Amino acid sequence: MISVGAGLIALAAGLGVAFAAIGSATAQGRTAAAALDAMWRQPEASGAIQTAMMLALAFMEFLTILVLLVAFMIVGKIG
Amino acid sequence: MATNLYYFLASAASTAEHGASAAGEGGHGAPLFKLFGLDVTAQVTTTWVVMALLILLGWLATRNLKREPHGLQNVMEFVTEALVSFLSSVMGREKARKMMPFLGTLFLFILVSNYSGLIPGAGYVKGFAAPTSVWGVTLGLAICAIVAVQVYGVQKKGIRYFSHLFKPIYLTPINILEEIARPLSLSLRLYGNVFGEETVTLTLLSVVPYVLPMAAMLLGVIFGAVQAIIFTTLTAVYIAMATAEHH
Repeated sequence: MISVGAGLIALAAGLGVAFAAIGSATAQGRTAAAALDAMWRQPEASGAIQTAMMLALAFMEFLTILVLLVAFMIVGKIG
Repeated sequence: MATNLYYFLASAASTAEHGASAAGEGGHGAPLFKLFGLDVTAQVTTTWVVMALLILLGWLATRNLKREPHGLQNVMEFVTEALVSFLSSVMGREKARKMMPFLGTLFLFILVSNYSGLIPGAGYVKGFAAPTSVWGVTLGLAICAIVAVQVYGVQKKGIRYFSHLFKPIYLTPINILEEIARPLSLSLRLYGNVFGEETVTLTLLSVVPYVLPMAAMLLGVIFGAVQAIIFTTLTAVYIAMATAEHH
């Protein structure tokens, strides 16, 4: 039998990751689109653009990863 | 405030690991034996295997150096040259060549560690688990990286290097906090990615045992390389910032 509290915790974890994923996916999509646009305009600068893009993507990814860790933490509390 | 953050993250990491081991990952984090009073877990033994592998590879590749490389020397020269040319875009070719022993080791160790989690049996076979799937290992790597940044900065500029903390003076607390946040973000990014990917594979495995987990493992192949590159690049950026000449 699952209690209401456990259900709420699971809901919080799921919703948290979902919202974080929506945010970072939107931001990463915009970043990738801008980078591809820049690469298409100036193919000879591809290397530098790619490096900068990857760093920017990593910073956005990190926020989702943080939420994921918090989600694991609170799911562990259901026990 | 920083210590509060540390305790929060430490408890997050440990409960996250325990949650996963409750979900069925065999022997995750359980010590195998004790060495000098310290627990030796499966991640530590796998770290030793990765170290031995890389040392053996380096020894074999450089044992008989030739002007015209072939075989293993050729492969390792290709890897080194690719890394140098990639890092050149971040910190310039001269610096990239100088920092290569450190950055290259970081890259190869993280790459091989990430990929060791994809070998069948990782996490189930006793004494075999991806080293980067625990926070301790990635935090150790990040602390190495941050200490190296300070050392290179002091080596280049002397005591004057620390003046960047007080520029501008009213942002000093923020600057110090940034220095503390760097190893945290470096280590949590790598750990969260590897651990999250493993957990997703495990969850998919418990739902559909065949074919579907391969999708997550394919992502693991890509992310393993990308995370290794990002860790190395960020360290290179920090070193480049610490050793940059201000005019």
